[in-house]
Amino acid sequence: MSIIEYDVIVIGAGVAGLTAGTLLAEKGLKVALVTSGEPTACLSTGCIDFCSGKDNPEEAIAGLPAHHPFHLVTSKQINDAADDFRRKMARAGLSYWGDTSRSRLVLSAIGTFKTTCLVQETMQASPQNEQEKIHIVTFAGLKDFYPGYIIARLKNASFSTFDAGISTTMGIASLFEDESFLETFLLWLEKQNIREDKIAVPAVLGLESAAAIKNKIEQHMERPVFEIPTIPPSMPGRRLFNCMKDCFRRAGGVIYWDWQATGAEKSGRVIEAVFTESQGRPNSLNAKAFVLAAGSFVGGGLRADHHGISENIFDLPVLTAGKRREWFDQDYFSLNHRISRAGIVVDESFRAVESPWDNLYICGAILAHVEALKNGCGHGFALATARAAAESLLETRR
Amino acid sequence: MIKTDVIIIGGGATGCGIARDLALRGIPHCLIEKGDYAAGATGACHGLLHSGGRYVISDPISARECYDENMILRRIGEKCVENTGGLFVRLPGDSKIFRERFLRSCDEIGIPTEVISSTRALELVPALNPEIEEAIRVPDCSIDPFRLCMLNMKTSQLKGGLSFTRHRVIDIMRSHGRCTGVKVMDTGTGEQQEIFGNVIVNATGAWANAVAKLAGSEVPLTLSKGSLVITNHRLTDMVINRLRPASDGDIIVPNEAVCLAGTTSLAVEDPDKISIEPIEVDTIIGEAGRMIPHFNRTRIIRAFSGVRPLLKSQKLDSREISRGFQIIDHQNGMYSIVGGKLSTFRLMAEKMVDTIMNAFNLKKECETAYQPLDGQEELSGYPLSKRLADMKNIVCECELVTRRDVEKIIEQTRTRHVGDISHRTRLGMGPCQGGFCTFRALGIMHDMEILSPEQSLGALRDFLQRRFRGIRHALWGDQLREEQLVEYIYLGILALGHTIEHH
Repeated sequence: MSIIEYDVIVIGAGVAGLTAGTLLAEKGLKVALVTSGEPTACLSTGCIDFCSGKDNPEEAIAGLPAHHPFHLVTSKQINDAADDFRRKMARAGLSYWGDTSRSRLVLSAIGTFKTTCLVQETMQASPQNEQEKIHIVTFAGLKDFYPGYIIARLKNASFSTFDAGISTTMGIASLFEDESFLETFLLWLEKQNIREDKIAVPAVLGLESAAAIKNKIEQHMERPVFEIPTIPPSMPGRRLFNCMKDCFRRAGGVIYWDWQATGAEKSGRVIEAVFTESQGRPNSLNAKAFVLAAGSFVGGGLRADHHGISENIFDLPVLTAGKRREWFDQDYFSLNHRISRAGIVVDESFRAVESPWDNLYICGAILAHVEALKNGCGHGFALATARAAAESLLETRR
Repeated sequence: MIKTDVIIIGGGATGCGIARDLALRGIPHCLIEKGDYAAGATGACHGLLHSGGRYVISDPISARECYDENMILRRIGEKCVENTGGLFVRLPGDSKIFRERFLRSCDEIGIPTEVISSTRALELVPALNPEIEEAIRVPDCSIDPFRLCMLNMKTSQLKGGLSFTRHRVIDIMRSHGRCTGVKVMDTGTGEQQEIFGNVIVNATGAWANAVAKLAGSEVPLTLSKGSLVITNHRLTDMVINRLRPASDGDIIVPNEAVCLAGTTSLAVEDPDKISIEPIEVDTIIGEAGRMIPHFNRTRIIRAFSGVRPLLKSQKLDSREISRGFQIIDHQNGMYSIVGGKLSTFRLMAEKMVDTIMNAFNLKKECETAYQPLDGQEELSGYPLSKRLADMKNIVCECELVTRRDVEKIIEQTRTRHVGDISHRTRLGMGPCQGGFCTFRALGIMHDMEILSPEQSLGALRDFLQRRFRGIRHALWGDQLREEQLVEYIYLGILALGHTIEHH
């Protein structure tokens, strides 16, 4: 059994957990983060969606239903969250573009446009309409990228195929980190006689120096280059996770990797410790306060079985979205599946309503009523609620 | 205009079996199917090639037919039949009197049985409930209904038979009271054409009455819905039956990498309007879980229903209605063949073609019981080593389907339907239920320039909508997590949802 006592234990290494953890560590608290493994953020496009329903994310947030947890965050907190995130990522070498007063579009791998807010520099030149003239460069054997989907929808697009000798996104991304590979690629690209205004590539332009690689191709080809996000494994998602993880560590945070939180020790109105399991060995971590940012179902924060939905670390009350037969709408595309409302209901202090724990704060996708896909409340929602939860925690400590 | 001798409507096991039988007897024929082969009850069953045990008390004649056909099919179709063997297990509380009747009836009919101890049964199937009293071994097999239909059609195609899938019969033409042909419509393009023939065989299963009506005839049917679930693991290598009178959830069948369990039985009116109730899923899992306890914890990857076309009877519980088949001569040049079951499809085809031969005074014996199914050389069971050799190009990781496999089917059929590829390769039939590989299969169609821009996302959307219908009743636990990830990929990363608002 561990006897180290932390000020705060954060559960979950996604955007919410790392944001809250970093903010608290920066304030001089001794913070540890436990995670069962890589977060779902690694699978994401790396784009930061706040609320993508309208042209203006801030207005879209204001228009969300009354019980939506975004209303528990002030607009100052939202703006601070975005600014702070951009500043920190830029310092870590991953520049983000955009601001919360304007939505922007990113071309998807099937030729549709995804609405988002902040994008990595490599997606900054993504077309904003179907008329733009683009040339897509794909890589031989890439299983999850088919330019035909895009060509079918964008009338002014064409494509060519480069054989990198490797056919996984991760493999190609690591090749791009090597200068001689980049030079071979540029020589080949030159010969393609590209006439279009922009050059598109699936998101494989390196892991660490994506923006620099993109800039080199742009300079060489004298036109904008942009990445198209791929389905997982996603390099932009991994870049985001790596940089956020570095920020947290630089702020003094400790990560317990591959530590699955399994339960908690409770006493009176406080949580004393979380129980964890790592390689079959039980352990426990003590702290004065806890932040639950374990995500929704995919992340593992919520669990559904055929009787109902539960949260299994602290056994918090879960808004369960009706009986099992009511979880899903008949229409797959309606985005009105009740299960996407399931989660933990919190008050303005980001503590669970109807639960007695004074030192447990909850943020991110595990919150009830988020409806992430319907409302486009993605990483931006995680950033904002994590900030608000961290501030609430600091406030209470004082 | 097409002219042929026999027009077969319906591409289930019966229709495909009739096409093969006609081909072997040298009779020109043309098969019309509104979807793909095995799209109705054939493809929506558990793929059990009955030993006959299941019907031995309620319907001894059917039981004997099953046993004989079982022996024939394992001989002629070794590449679509897996000789798993089967067990009837008796749980604590199950009637001993039924056990005695079961053994006696099997003996009278000639179905070989072997009573084995629970210890021996657990050696054969380690996942069995250790509390079973005993088990009776029977010669059950598992059969791949999709492959079975394809192989039957192969013979038809080799002998010059015609076939049109995704063509719907919209009218049956008549002259002087006799049927002279059918008007069909391509369901993709809407194009119509006429096909003339001397005889029409209506082998449309649950849709038999609707088709007969086009010729002014009737087929009295009782429709019975049977629901099934699929697990993501092969929990047993043998077919497991419950030793009791037929009831819900008493059969578990291994099929390639998965298991199917079912069924339920509920009367329905319209075969095109069926849905699954959560209670059916719970019942099947609960009952199957009594035979193999792991069922309660395993991932259910899909729940689906088929409609059994049973001969009309006054009996209220449709399970009591004979599973025997019947040939109806409508006296206007059209025959309907109804009832029966997958296990006896070949016998049904034989009797149907015999009837036609008699009517036209033609003499040629049926050969379908002796000739091995054509096209089996190309299949070799589950050639894992062969597929792994092309590992880099695997597009369906669950079922190890390579890009080349997919390209071959597209070249052969020029299909724009992912379902057609699934039926022929098992693409998308594993745990992710096509969540990842469908995007790839359609991408390959794009590469091969088969899809028009309009079809591009439409095909993806249709597939996801259909897929959802099958999986939405079995979503909890890890299966739900995987499904939410798939949803995030299509609606989040690929923004497939937003295009709908624009349309």
